[in-house]
Amino acid sequence: MQPAPPAAGDVLTDPAAAHPEVHQLRAALRTRDWTAVRAVTDTAEPALRTGLIRLGGGELGPLAGGEDFLRYVLARDPDDATAAAMLGNHLIDVGWAIRSGARASHVSRSQFEQFHEWLIKAEQVLIDGCARNPRDPALWVPRIITVRALNLGVSEGRRRYDRLSAVAPHHLAGQTQLLQELCPKWHGSWEQAHAFARECLETAPPGALNGVVVAEYHVERWLDLPDGEDRAYLLGQGVRAELHEAAHRSVWHPAFRRTYGWVGAMSTFAMLFSVIGDEPAAASLLSALGPLATEHPWDYLGGEPAEQIRAARGRAFAMGRAR
Amino acid sequence: MIKHTEVDGVPAILAPTSGQLHAGLVFRVGQADETLSRSGITHLLEHLTLFPLGIADYHFNGATGSVSTHFHMQGSDRDVATFITRVCASLAALPFERLAKEKEILRTEAAGRGGHVGEPMALWRHGARGYGLAGYPEWGLTALTPDDLRAWAATYFTRENAVLWIAGDEVPAGLRLDLPAGVRRPVPPVTSALPQTPAWFSGSSRATAWDAVVPRSAAAGVFTGVLERELFRALRQEDGLSYTAHAAYEPRGDGSALIVAVADALPEKADAVLGGFVDVLAKLKVGRIDPADVDAVVGKAADALGTAEADAARLPQYAFDMLVGFPLQTLEEAAADLRAVTPGAVAAVAAEALSTGLLMTPGRRSADWAGYATAPQGSESAVPGHAHRSVDVPGHRLVVGQAGVSLVRGDDVATVTFDACAAALAFPDGGRMLVGHDAVVVQVEPTLFEGAAAALPTIDAATAPVRVPMPARDPDDIPRPGDDRRADPRADADTADAGSRGLLVARLVVLWVLLVAVGGFTALLTLGTVMEQGDRAPLVTVLVFLYGLTALIIWGVVRGTRQLRRLRR
Repeated sequence: MQPAPPAAGDVLTDPAAAHPEVHQLRAALRTRDWTAVRAVTDTAEPALRTGLIRLGGGELGPLAGGEDFLRYVLARDPDDATAAAMLGNHLIDVGWAIRSGARASHVSRSQFEQFHEWLIKAEQVLIDGCARNPRDPALWVPRIITVRALNLGVSEGRRRYDRLSAVAPHHLAGQTQLLQELCPKWHGSWEQAHAFARECLETAPPGALNGVVVAEYHVERWLDLPDGEDRAYLLGQGVRAELHEAAHRSVWHPAFRRTYGWVGAMSTFAMLFSVIGDEPAAASLLSALGPLATEHPWDYLGGEPAEQIRAARGRAFAMGRAR
Repeated sequence: MIKHTEVDGVPAILAPTSGQLHAGLVFRVGQADETLSRSGITHLLEHLTLFPLGIADYHFNGATGSVSTHFHMQGSDRDVATFITRVCASLAALPFERLAKEKEILRTEAAGRGGHVGEPMALWRHGARGYGLAGYPEWGLTALTPDDLRAWAATYFTRENAVLWIAGDEVPAGLRLDLPAGVRRPVPPVTSALPQTPAWFSGSSRATAWDAVVPRSAAAGVFTGVLERELFRALRQEDGLSYTAHAAYEPRGDGSALIVAVADALPEKADAVLGGFVDVLAKLKVGRIDPADVDAVVGKAADALGTAEADAARLPQYAFDMLVGFPLQTLEEAAADLRAVTPGAVAAVAAEALSTGLLMTPGRRSADWAGYATAPQGSESAVPGHAHRSVDVPGHRLVVGQAGVSLVRGDDVATVTFDACAAALAFPDGGRMLVGHDAVVVQVEPTLFEGAAAALPTIDAATAPVRVPMPARDPDDIPRPGDDRRADPRADADTADAGSRGLLVARLVVLWVLLVAVGGFTALLTLGTVMEQGDRAPLVTVLVFLYGLTALIIWGVVRGTRQLRRLRR
């Protein structure tokens, strides 16, 4: 079975392409219509809601007065968890934009100080939000980001993740954030990161997206290695087998459903399979994705993600035809 | 029902008990009435008072609190009467021959106590005065004289400044309170070293602690119980991070109460305990008070008030309230107040408590991220005066002026002004440690600052009233120039200690001599080789070797010089 490959040029990385709710959210935020924002988020299932709120915080970045708007909403109703979570995410994004995505050694002191200030502002909004609404996963996920940015310790990261799990088990957005904290580039070790990725995979229901945490772990290892050694890493030591195992339990599982995060999960697996030349595996995912994609982790390959995706499709589907 | 009466001019209170007779004599004086330079005087007086009673087989004890001192005893009518009567007699004739020994015992007691977690909190909240003295060693002991103790006893251990309580049916026959006349002493003022609250400071232990000051009320007591339940649930039951998590409510003399909460942590979980603690406080701050918790706490406290022994059990607190002038309540009134506490009232206490809070983070962690202000660690500015340069750290200086003394280390400034100096510890080697009312410390070390020894008479004269003579320091504790442990506590791991400085210098001298010799020879040989008309090959081989040797010696010199410079810093 070989589904028709997508039109060669189409690469849709806008999350709205997979989830029309994103369009509605953007429209509501543009017109500062909080009732309409809530109408979108309140009807979304938990993973989608967390995703929408996280996106909403980012969307407000380019809009002038985004922080004022959310603070106004929150002042009118301090118990509005959606407003608190979106404001927290927004403040994190503003801070992170100042820091830039660079490794710590390339960030200036002034950038660090500003970054720190914004993240503290975010954390305080989120502390208050979690105090009022401890059962809202959308509030705990950004707190697993602030724990890392403010260097509050691995055990505190785990505590926050445990609080999240208690109210929303297998919440992928929180798992990928804790994985970052557990990587050596932040405050953990490869052993801790790998054990956590396995935990996410093994405890997840069959077909759930959580297997992608294992793939993310291998992306991190690959990223950490110098050119040449990185691909060898993915090809060796049972890594490929573990990727297949994780994919079989998630994106390739019969119970797999296209819930929020599925595009990112398939993109991550597809990118790794493409890098190691496992073209049939890459092809199955790229064709299931159709034109859809996330820029992450293709952006790690350098150059335009869309170009990388097109090239990967070319290799994968050429192999498919050759057989 | 608590019965009021009087014994020899001293107010006395009685409540029945089914158990053995128990009685206590309470005076309105404690550590908070002292000054840092004479701290420990109440405790010492308490020990001296009990010494002559020590040989008998009594179940008695003494306790020095922040604003009250307590002698109590449980036993037969005759034993209790004898004990209380003899306490008063002993106060009138203190056994000063025991002075040196009891001072020694108190120092041993302090060494064994191992620092209660509330001690650093008292210091950071109140500074080096009043209630803050609980955070300090009893430095005043050394200098205390029999006259000091007599004067202290005459001021505070008087009829008007005492209350006798008796858990029993009547005052035991033969009990006499032969105390001098005096006046009721008002409670000391509450001092603050915190310009802003809620605030945080970093503690030295793994424990996370928090305290707050609120007006005394039934709701404040219930809030403390609710806080303890929340902490226990979050830190122990849910996440298994702490073994103990508890909260205590301590009425103070000024009508307010101190609420103290502490949670310990497994070594690798201190971050999570701090995070969980912050979250519990935030939950209570926003008013999320679980009515079931309120019910449970009220129920437990009401049960205690409902027993036949309830009045007898609250006699010590009742005596305390009489001494500090706090409104007295019958058991029924107290029980009614307790039952009237609603979750809303507890939430109101929570909001007030959180706004006055002081958080102690476990070792070196900050809490600015959680919205707590950093408690001041130094001073705003230095005093004008003569600057004594550090003999080993460029830019560091000790400033001695008319108004006080400052230690300036880059951006860190510590100032103690003479009019706000709580104690001046004087060591025989010339070292001085000045402690300001705000708990800021200036260490005056003549070994470290140029000409500082000449400034000592000025400092000593200005601080004479608060001078505390200290025993000689261990020579290793007297700082020396170039002592890296002092300049940067993290640097001592990779640098040699001062003892190896001589070796380093000797090695450098040898290397320099070698460099001149080998380098000079190499230069001459190079010249010779250039001028050589015949076969240069053997000479070039030798030269290559000599250049290599010279390079090696230069490397050794550079490395040695760097090490020496690091030692000096």
